[in-house]
Amino acid sequence: MYGYLGIDVGSVSTNLVFMGEDGTVKHSIYLRTRGKPIEAVQRGLKMLKEALPPQTKITGVGTTGSGRHLAGVITGADIIKNEITTHAIAASNVVPGVQTILEIGGQDSKIIILRNGVVADFAMNTVCAAGTGSFLDQQAARLNIDIEEFGPLALRSRVPVQIAGRCAVFAESDMIHKQQMGYNVEDILAGLCDALVRNYLNNVGKGKEILPPVVFQGGVAANVGMKRAFEKALDMEIHVPPYFNVMGALGAAMLAREATSRKNTGFRGFGIVDRDFYAGGFACDGCPNVCEVVEITESGRVIARWGDRCGRWSGLLEQKEKIS
Amino acid sequence: MSLKVGIPRALLYYYYFPQWAAFFNHLGVQVVVSRETTRGLLEKGLRSTVDEACLPVKLAVGHVLDLRDRVDYIFLPRLVSMARREYICPKFLGFPDMVRNTIDGIGPLIDCNLDLYRKNSSQYDFFYAVGKMFTRNPVKIRRAYHASLEALRRHCLAMESGALAGETAPETTPAHQNRTGEARAGDVNVAVIGHPYNLYDRFISMNLIKRLKENGANVLTAEQLPEQMARREAQRLPKKLFWTLNQRMIGAAYHYFERPDVHGVIHVASFGCGPDSMTGELIERYARKWSRKPLLILTLDEHTGEAGMVTRLEAFLDMVRWRRNLADAAAATTTKIIAKKAEETTGAPDTSTGVFAAK
Repeated sequence: MYGYLGIDVGSVSTNLVFMGEDGTVKHSIYLRTRGKPIEAVQRGLKMLKEALPPQTKITGVGTTGSGRHLAGVITGADIIKNEITTHAIAASNVVPGVQTILEIGGQDSKIIILRNGVVADFAMNTVCAAGTGSFLDQQAARLNIDIEEFGPLALRSRVPVQIAGRCAVFAESDMIHKQQMGYNVEDILAGLCDALVRNYLNNVGKGKEILPPVVFQGGVAANVGMKRAFEKALDMEIHVPPYFNVMGALGAAMLAREATSRKNTGFRGFGIVDRDFYAGGFACDGCPNVCEVVEITESGRVIARWGDRCGRWSGLLEQKEKIS
Repeated sequence: MSLKVGIPRALLYYYYFPQWAAFFNHLGVQVVVSRETTRGLLEKGLRSTVDEACLPVKLAVGHVLDLRDRVDYIFLPRLVSMARREYICPKFLGFPDMVRNTIDGIGPLIDCNLDLYRKNSSQYDFFYAVGKMFTRNPVKIRRAYHASLEALRRHCLAMESGALAGETAPETTPAHQNRTGEARAGDVNVAVIGHPYNLYDRFISMNLIKRLKENGANVLTAEQLPEQMARREAQRLPKKLFWTLNQRMIGAAYHYFERPDVHGVIHVASFGCGPDSMTGELIERYARKWSRKPLLILTLDEHTGEAGMVTRLEAFLDMVRWRRNLADAAAATTTKIIAKKAEETTGAPDTSTGVFAAK
């Protein structure tokens, strides 16, 4: 079997997708990054290798997400692409004619507007991470419920509580207050969903023309409470595609197919699972900028460096993909 | 030994440095420019400035500190107005006082007023007041003043021919040849609209211009337009915008939205800048209403995490290219249709259109 590998290394989750020649998902893996992106990629590849038939050949690799450069260096990716483009590519292939993509991940949220199959506008959350997956995780943990139960519980609410969603810190104190007043958990959760959706539409979605079909993807799309809150706020049907939580990886795999149409893949093989990678860093003392240089070593050999403004260190290595 | 005047590499340095430098050189005064922004320099500025100030002002304080012990005077003109019935941001106006009151042991400042708000006001009064501090010979001042005007004229011409202010500013003679040829090496043209002191400061803008060029984009800026043109374009606003710098940005943005060879516009604002937040909104509204060109709004702050900016820039360029290719494809099919129609009507294939369509 031949196919393409897409890897999305995000702040919270690391996702892998193995896509067949025909563009269908053959296998997908959703892992927690747990702050160790290299390990997560290796773990994911190991699981993928075990899940796929032994003769499977990877004919192209694409990486995306905030850890895309790291994952790209380790795997020998054919294409390293930002997460906005990959999400747009995946959604427009899975849901033809999509005009709006709402994406909420672990640490960031974005909105992508497409018109006639082409990205027309996009926005990402700025400094505020209110309403992203990690905040929902945190609140679920504080209320002592599993994140998987969050959505179904919120759906059971009859009278959602009004919660201040402007800022995650205020939302939390507001929730605690409401708990102390005796409101039940379902209503608080539903109120939280409403507040976060409101916050999302006011910040990320500010001034954007949201037209149907609307696709909701990213890890938070698993939360049916959030989906319903969006439906309520927008008064539109919201599609959650089947592979909503690995759409970035799927888009990367699609781009890898395009990138390898005229050349062979640079994939370094599943052998990298057992190799020793180490990401270290040091502060350069060349000038008062004191850049923090990141250094990726494989069995003691430096394979990549980045983070320096002047190119003093990254320029020392001959690289195919220049990371600046 | 000649006197040394320090000019901070901040704020309107990027507009007027060639003019100021020429003036001082003609008076026989040595000009010292503060070093390029580094993290250490910015941190010094942040520590010594009131919290309410915007990032460019904090940075400018850092540059003043960099000059403190190296020069006899620091040149901090009080820029009130650079054109009739217009103003420069009030933070510039109060900048010399801010410096005097927050920095201990600051040497003498040259903070003469430059105010062209009223009719019949002239830059000469300002330069005369500055010149008087170094010479008693009015003829010498007059000559230096004319030399400064000539330097400014050449600087503006160099920028209009495609040079970027950051590139011409450090030299007093900005005669860059072949700049236009080199500037058009990329495959997309992106207009970058923002204050020069944000754009051309490589640290603050996180090398925005260089990054764009490395990713195959040609960069166009507001400074490359003749001043009159930017002013004329800005007249589309229902009321005159009285901030000179932002009026220029708006005018340039309108111009680039209309220009067919520009594929996308990036607006760079600094966090905490009042006028920027308003121009950003005006540009965004215009873009939504009248233009189909992609617009990206970037807000710069004192953080040094580049990942967020890199992701947005990459996605923006992807979007720009994607849409351009689509437009090109659409244009190609229309020309084919036109050629075909011409063929049908004339009976014989028109070779000239045929060749054009084949391209």
